[in-house]
Amino acid sequence: MSSEQVIDRLKNALGDKLKGTFAQTALRIYAEADPADIVEVTRVIHNDLGARFVIASGMEMETDFEVLYHFAFENMPPPCPLVTVRVHLDHEKPLVDSITSGVPAAAWIEREMHELLGIEFKNHPNMKPLLLAEDWPKDVHPLRRGRPWEGKVDRKI
Amino acid sequence: MGVTVKALMKSPWVFHVSAGSCNNCDIEILDCLCPRFDIERFGAVLIGSVRHADALIITGAMNRKSALRVRQLYDQAAKPCLVIAIGACALGQGVFRDSYPMVQPLDEVLPPGAVTVYVPGCPPKPEAMIAGVVKALAQLQPAAKPEGAEKEAADVQ
Repeated sequence: MSSEQVIDRLKNALGDKLKGTFAQTALRIYAEADPADIVEVTRVIHNDLGARFVIASGMEMETDFEVLYHFAFENMPPPCPLVTVRVHLDHEKPLVDSITSGVPAAAWIEREMHELLGIEFKNHPNMKPLLLAEDWPKDVHPLRRGRPWEGKVDRKI
Repeated sequence: MGVTVKALMKSPWVFHVSAGSCNNCDIEILDCLCPRFDIERFGAVLIGSVRHADALIITGAMNRKSALRVRQLYDQAAKPCLVIAIGACALGQGVFRDSYPMVQPLDEVLPPGAVTVYVPGCPPKPEAMIAGVVKALAQLQPAAKPEGAEKEAADVQ
């Protein structure tokens, strides 16, 4: 299936909730979404169009935070395209709705992003620490820019 | 020579502790056990419980969480217990030295003098690991060095 056909299918399903779609290659499609719509957008892609949730990734950019949700359309004729939905979050207070209501598999990666990048996920069912040690300070997010843990974490056990 | 040390030197039972390695050292340790190098010729057996262990083989740069477990495992092992640090990460944390979850290196996590031999390399060759084990055994009872210890160590270098 060509990238144009995939984009058409996404647009038919989501209408104007999806903005700025572009195909980097035939198999790699990016789309922008508003943080307010992300629960609906991911629910439609995952449940109605039947895509597989691959992973989500978070990044701290210079002016904002980006969260990217990656979906693989394995139910389309091969080669199967990979669609990435991107949201931009406020740099001071990164907050987005949890997509776990439509995509339960996103629960752990949201916990990881919450811990390592400090992104808040609203309505997450189980926001417990996932990776860091129990004595790690809750306000230090190690994957943010610079070296935020320096001077705040004792490097001896 | 006490019967414990004699039994240990005849057949050292080793417990493999992977404290967060990239698996490369672990694969080389498995190589040691496979027919080509076959350390079972020397009576060394990989065992599943640290309570039965005469030697701990530790790989990987430890993080805050696994360092506690390594210390716990060392405490649980019956003494005398040889500790063989395998690979650049176990020796000095390798390229992960400045990373956020790192604590002090292995020889400061364990009691002073607990680490018997260091086998450098990324990963070390199975020959080097065997030479390390032989050296560790030799150090345990300097009066009665196992036959060929000197020669084998020299061969590797």
